[in-house]
Amino acid sequence: MTTGIADYAGYFLQGAAITIWISWLALLLSAVVGTIFAAAGLSSLWPLRVLATAYVETFRSIPILVLLFFCYFGLSLVFSINLSPFVAATIALTLELSSMMAVIVRAGIQSVSRGQWEAGLATGMRRWQVWRYIIMPQAIRVILPPSVGVYIAALKDSSLASIIGYVELTKTGLLVRESTGRNFQVLVVVAALYFVINYSISLVGAALEKRFQIVH
Amino acid sequence: MYHFSFREIAPYLVQLPDAIWTTISLSVLTAILSGFLGIPGALARRSRWLLVRFIVGLYVEVMRNVPLLIVLYLVFFSLPQTGLRLDGFESALIALTLNSSAYMIEIFRSGLIAIPRVQYEAAASQGMTRLQTLRLVVLPQVLRVVYGPIGNQLVGIVLGSSLASVVTVAEITSWMDTAGSATFRYFETFIVAGAAYLAICQIINLARILTGRLLFGRHAAASR
Repeated sequence: MTTGIADYAGYFLQGAAITIWISWLALLLSAVVGTIFAAAGLSSLWPLRVLATAYVETFRSIPILVLLFFCYFGLSLVFSINLSPFVAATIALTLELSSMMAVIVRAGIQSVSRGQWEAGLATGMRRWQVWRYIIMPQAIRVILPPSVGVYIAALKDSSLASIIGYVELTKTGLLVRESTGRNFQVLVVVAALYFVINYSISLVGAALEKRFQIVH
Repeated sequence: MYHFSFREIAPYLVQLPDAIWTTISLSVLTAILSGFLGIPGALARRSRWLLVRFIVGLYVEVMRNVPLLIVLYLVFFSLPQTGLRLDGFESALIALTLNSSAYMIEIFRSGLIAIPRVQYEAAASQGMTRLQTLRLVVLPQVLRVVYGPIGNQLVGIVLGSSLASVVTVAEITSWMDTAGSATFRYFETFIVAGAAYLAICQIINLARILTGRLLFGRHAAASR
């Protein structure tokens, strides 16, 4: 690369670190929210099932950019609070990713046959013990590999946080582009950084998938 | 307490049908272009030449791992430097197609993998030509595997088309932002824009399920 851009290497790495961090935070939050909605979707109470379906279908159908605008401008106006771009982006990403996680976690729980529930309860285990010691250890094998895909989606979608002014990798690139005037080179560097991060993580995902493969 | 009111955004609703139409036409064009690129791309990923496999594989991995926004910026800001004049809609169409064809290639590839080698041999032994084999043996089975993922990809294209608002295309997201910033009624414009996206995506989902039922009967795979 030309010297003009190499001077900004520190900023690029910092931007990349922020991208990795906010995506990770959003992934963890969406795992929690997603698990709640997965449990609701498997509930025996129909209002909970309807609620879970409505939540998943709504946030799977609304673009992340729309959610970002809504969280940054809309929520601030409605609740008369000042949301920072960081908080707004985290909420928007969590709303979007949790709808993916709900589907994944639900499939994981359903992959464990009903008979094991009954067997667990029959041996005198409590409900939470069946969850903790029988269902989850098996479900996690089904949940983890696609969760890596969700993390990659988070890393890519967090680039849109740049539009509401959050300085992550993409915004860093745009700022460097403004101060150096080097359009193409800067964007290629940003693209390369995203590629290296996401491709490495996708390799981890592929390894996990292989490791957890259930042989019938 | 926030007073919910649609009255203030009412004057902006007249622009909404045009915005919805722009989202739909951008998405449909992207779907058609990337669908057509996906089939030869998938065949190229199974080419007998290593170089062809490598180049297409690299293309797919790059597009799947680089955010659409960066691809869009590259098209919108960098292509004009080569002398090519593109408006926002064309840039968005190119970026979305570049991105979506990578997914389409993978979808069609997964469809091709599902067909065992022996079926090609069996078809050849029946005296079928290559084209006949593709049309009568391969394609019907590939369709069965790919229609579900293609439905999901169409939803992905509609969601991705929202990025066109960044390069001045007046589609649904851009409408929401314009009407919201003019009236400070972001919550109300969000509900309208969200409902529009929800409706479009659910229609696609419904079409996907119906396609499965009609073509492959009740036991069609309910892929998500």
